[in-house]
Amino acid sequence: MSAAADVALGYEPHAGGTGGEGRLWIAPGGSHVVPAISAAFKAALLAAVLELKPSKDARVVVLGAEVDALPPRARAALRAQVAFLPANGGLISNLNGWENIALPVGYHAPKRLVALAPEVYAMLEQFGAQPRPLLARLPEDMTLYERKLAGYVRMRLGRPKLVLAEDLGGGLGPGERRRAAGFADAYLADCPEGTFIQLEDVPDESG
Amino acid sequence: MIGFYRELEGSMRLAAHVLRRFWVLRLPPVAEELVRQIYFTGASATATIVIRGALVGTLIIAYVIEVLNADASLAVKILLWVVLREIGPLIAAVLVIQRSGTAVATELALMKISGEVASLRHMRIDPRDYLVVPRVVGIALANTALTVYVQFIAVGGGMLLSALVIDASLGEMAGSFFLLASPLDLVYSVAKSLLFGAAIGLIACYYGLNPPGSSINAVPKAAISAVTQATLAVMLLNVVFAYLVYGSALFGLFTADL
Repeated sequence: MSAAADVALGYEPHAGGTGGEGRLWIAPGGSHVVPAISAAFKAALLAAVLELKPSKDARVVVLGAEVDALPPRARAALRAQVAFLPANGGLISNLNGWENIALPVGYHAPKRLVALAPEVYAMLEQFGAQPRPLLARLPEDMTLYERKLAGYVRMRLGRPKLVLAEDLGGGLGPGERRRAAGFADAYLADCPEGTFIQLEDVPDESG
Repeated sequence: MIGFYRELEGSMRLAAHVLRRFWVLRLPPVAEELVRQIYFTGASATATIVIRGALVGTLIIAYVIEVLNADASLAVKILLWVVLREIGPLIAAVLVIQRSGTAVATELALMKISGEVASLRHMRIDPRDYLVVPRVVGIALANTALTVYVQFIAVGGGMLLSALVIDASLGEMAGSFFLLASPLDLVYSVAKSLLFGAAIGLIACYYGLNPPGSSINAVPKAAISAVTQATLAVMLLNVVFAYLVYGSALFGLFTADL
């Protein structure tokens, strides 16, 4: 058993439980890649970390705190510091780019909406996108890279301390993959105390 | 039977959530959803719904005049009792179920299956706040507005037809209609329409957020369940209202002048 204090993300299924097989123990700070993670383990890990409920199946440590030991209010506060970037960007299909990006800020901190546009434009331009047309398009009219980028910008606006990014380069061409690889560096430049974890899928060998 | 109770309990829980979290409508993204829902259910449906309402109102009066050999006084009573109080809210509700009930259930079921509901949770947005509250309130408000349109057109169409067929002027009929009608009629139909709309919204949202499976086949099933149960709920609510008004001590409030 490791001490929780120096851990950004820890997930250790109990023997004989249903928390999956494997173990993840990541130190705080920097960018980390967790390669070849099985679908079952990833599902169990994400459920544990994103729901942040006490689990009888696994020991879960997030940003130095044992989840089991936290009262509900503290768990909610901790959850606010964790962000998840799904492989497809996680956008809502009937909202355009801007509405998608502004959605969590509008819900959690509506006063920030007035000053949001410059921040969003700067981030989109940093990663080679033209903000105005991208923000006006629905997700179905975006490329996969644009959807991931919009999801990334949305995630950054929440200023999380811990980021879990799912299969960041998956499905992208070489140029887009290079740009997406810069997501972690840009996040860490803005939030040096943060931790960016990329969960890579098991390579598909079916053909 | 267990399934029915589970669905009833689920809808009641959603209703309690809507009442408890009504204030989220102040949040910009939720307010935008509310405006979208009112536009979709109310504004964009006005033309089709009003035309059908006018046709039904005229048809009822045509039957009454033909079958009951009605005079002006009976035609006005039928317009007030049947068209204004009963048929107007019912037609609007049935048309809203057909149009918005199916759309909401389908949309939410697709969002659930495609992971968009989970995506909202990942952003710490309660899907009931963002998806259910504005849809239920939006459908309730839009249904009330549509009911008023339908009543106006159906009563107007009925009066026009009556005036043409019966030996009575349009002014005379309108005069006796407004003499018989009371503000309580308006309160009654507004209360009914709000409740019908809220029930339609709640049931559509419940089945949309709880599709019977995670494949695309679950989407039409959710829509069918929503339409069936919403129609049943509206009929039941109508019976309850009818009992309260016509079958109890409240009867005198509405019929004192008749």
